[in-house]
Amino acid sequence: MDSDSGRGIDRRAFTKAAVAIGGTGALAACLKRLDRSSVPRGPADLATLPDRQHAWNEYLATDESGNAVPPGHRLVLLLDYPGSGAPTRDDARTVRQALGTLDSAYSWSHDGLLSVVGYSPAYFERFEAALPPQVDLPAPTALASFENPELDAPDAILYLASDHAHVVLAAEQALKGEKETLNGVSVESTLMDVFSIAERRTGFKGSGLPAANQDTAGVPDSKPVSADAPLYMGFKSGYTKTQATEDRVTIQQGPFAGGTTAHVSHMTLNLEQWYEQDDRYQRVGKMYCPYHAKNDVVDGTGDNLGSSAKMEKAKPARKAAETDALVGHGQKMFHLREDGRPLILRRDFDSTDGGHAGVHFVSFQREIGEFVKTRNGMNGTGLAAQSAVGQRNNNGILQYIDVTHRGNYLVPPRSLRALPTPEADRA
Amino acid sequence: MRRRRFLALAGATGAGGLAGCTGLFQTRPAYAPPLVKDRPDAVYYPTHVEQMEMAGVKRKAGYACALTYTYPHRFWLVTGTHTKEVAIKSADTMHVMPVVWDVVTGRVLPDVNPKLTVTQDGGSVLSDSPWPMLSQPMGFHYGDNVHLPGDGRYDVTVHVGAPAAKRTGSLADAPESVSFEFTLEYTESRLNEIPWHKLPEKKGTRGAVSHMDMEMLPASAVPTEADLPGSVLGSGRSGDADVVVTVLDDASRFGGGSSKSYLAVSPRSPYNRYLLPMMGLSATVDGETRDLTQTLDPDLGLHYGTAVGEAPGTVTVHVDAPPQFARHEGYETAFLDMSDVTVRG
Repeated sequence: MDSDSGRGIDRRAFTKAAVAIGGTGALAACLKRLDRSSVPRGPADLATLPDRQHAWNEYLATDESGNAVPPGHRLVLLLDYPGSGAPTRDDARTVRQALGTLDSAYSWSHDGLLSVVGYSPAYFERFEAALPPQVDLPAPTALASFENPELDAPDAILYLASDHAHVVLAAEQALKGEKETLNGVSVESTLMDVFSIAERRTGFKGSGLPAANQDTAGVPDSKPVSADAPLYMGFKSGYTKTQATEDRVTIQQGPFAGGTTAHVSHMTLNLEQWYEQDDRYQRVGKMYCPYHAKNDVVDGTGDNLGSSAKMEKAKPARKAAETDALVGHGQKMFHLREDGRPLILRRDFDSTDGGHAGVHFVSFQREIGEFVKTRNGMNGTGLAAQSAVGQRNNNGILQYIDVTHRGNYLVPPRSLRALPTPEADRA
Repeated sequence: MRRRRFLALAGATGAGGLAGCTGLFQTRPAYAPPLVKDRPDAVYYPTHVEQMEMAGVKRKAGYACALTYTYPHRFWLVTGTHTKEVAIKSADTMHVMPVVWDVVTGRVLPDVNPKLTVTQDGGSVLSDSPWPMLSQPMGFHYGDNVHLPGDGRYDVTVHVGAPAAKRTGSLADAPESVSFEFTLEYTESRLNEIPWHKLPEKKGTRGAVSHMDMEMLPASAVPTEADLPGSVLGSGRSGDADVVVTVLDDASRFGGGSSKSYLAVSPRSPYNRYLLPMMGLSATVDGETRDLTQTLDPDLGLHYGTAVGEAPGTVTVHVDAPPQFARHEGYETAFLDMSDVTVRG
């Protein structure tokens, strides 16, 4: 990661803004401003790419503790397929070619381009056949009584990630038919031949980027986000041991084996309360656990916590609720771990979409039910009923987040990523 | 508003006639009189008292919600026994205070942490979850200091979810979620007309101002000792709260079976008898210690209870966690260091 200089932060702040703005002008400005270091191309034989679309870890940089370093720039497109019937084979071929162009143009890595395509329950309703029993893909719902999100129902979702904003932007333009070549690769098919864009979501993750993007609603004017914070809330996430493995989130059986499910939500953040009303003791206690707060376990953004967040020091959540009247977010998640690891693999990022500080929480899990179980644990409803911890108050970070959108998607293996049928017979 | 208030604090009387003075006090951070230096570790009179403005009351699904507001306020957040003062900031427009209660019983609902969404002409202005909070003139409410971009008409949605606490009787039929819609016509001049006064003699001395007399708002008081259902075993003082222990001879309403008795512990603020939710309590009953469950009952009001085999002899109430709601001035030093209370039947 280049967190080396102030100039670096300025540059990356600019490129983030470029992704948020989008379009030809932003790309041109972006390229003009950047050193034109070449971005590696994809392999000649696309069959050498991992069949799992969510296989990113091996292709990400790692930090000194071995944790995956998240790619800096992100784009999510919500896509609608026309009409109400099943998609045609021609359209499937077009989508396959368009996505293949991305894989040819950029190497499958943080330094090139990583992507994930998923399909919603609404999409699969176009078919008479049902999804196989190995796929748990319910329609999205609110996951706490105190939230009232919009329930997203586009047909598909495309998620792009790269360390380079210009790569994300150029890929988007190629998919929209606004570029004839992409990193030297001829663009023959575009997604817009098939889909229309229902919504465009953008964001960033990584040291320096949230601080450079804190001039937005939801963040106090005091610019409280530290220069090295990888996320708006000021702490690192995604320690190796606070993430599920890619194996754990992969569908094991049936025609979609090698795929996964994605839950894609958006939440706004109240950093006014987080930074200006709470103090660091409360922030550390609420994010991790009371033990970390009382014993100053967390330095700065939490880089000192190795690959585990040191959550083994935390009391069971119920005990903390009873004795400390405070239960940390990480602490609530701890008892849900299986073989020492959570059930979900976060690939979330921060955003200024809507002119407000927020999080696009993209999570992969074998079954959507595992996300629901995880979120139920985060709700801590039982803790609130049985202790001095409130529904939101002193109950992890629930006080500061407001979920505005939720959507569920099946992420097929790469070989089935172009307009799959529920029987997966379109490979 | 801040200029105006500073002038008022400095001794100016009347709200009018200040045009032309604008700009003089813009950077002056005196939005409220300074705190009293030696505050008792008990409920005390604050430096000043403000009334509030009501944007409206809405009823839906058996709940009522009032949207009220007043001048920005300092308050204290509580996490365990750790407190954090939230000072008034120059960007704060108002202290917004939704109050939610059950229409039939009039019981204020301290377990439904509302979410406030403010929009103007369809555009997002604010998303905020006000803190559960206690103040002397308002009683229990949800509150936060928030910023609005200026005078104007705002659409405000207050969304509440399912109860967090155990509920009994008619309160058990709680809706899963309810949204209340309000229109807030905000002007700075109207806010500045909200009456307030200082308490120069009483400030910092033990005592509390009375609940503001608002016909439309319930007082968030629990029953007097004499009105409390069951046989009152006794009461004691802990962290300046009154803790009353009563025993009902039939625990069935509370899920304990009719052959069992029900031990109910009803802590309340002194002077105003405000409910004290979000505590962690346990009780040693004739030598055996058990957790008490926060429960909202139409007759007992908010209390902490457990079913017991037979009418207990000696009961010791332990405060495992003091009340975790945020405190307005006059409550921030009370209800923190809370000793056991023992009563004998």
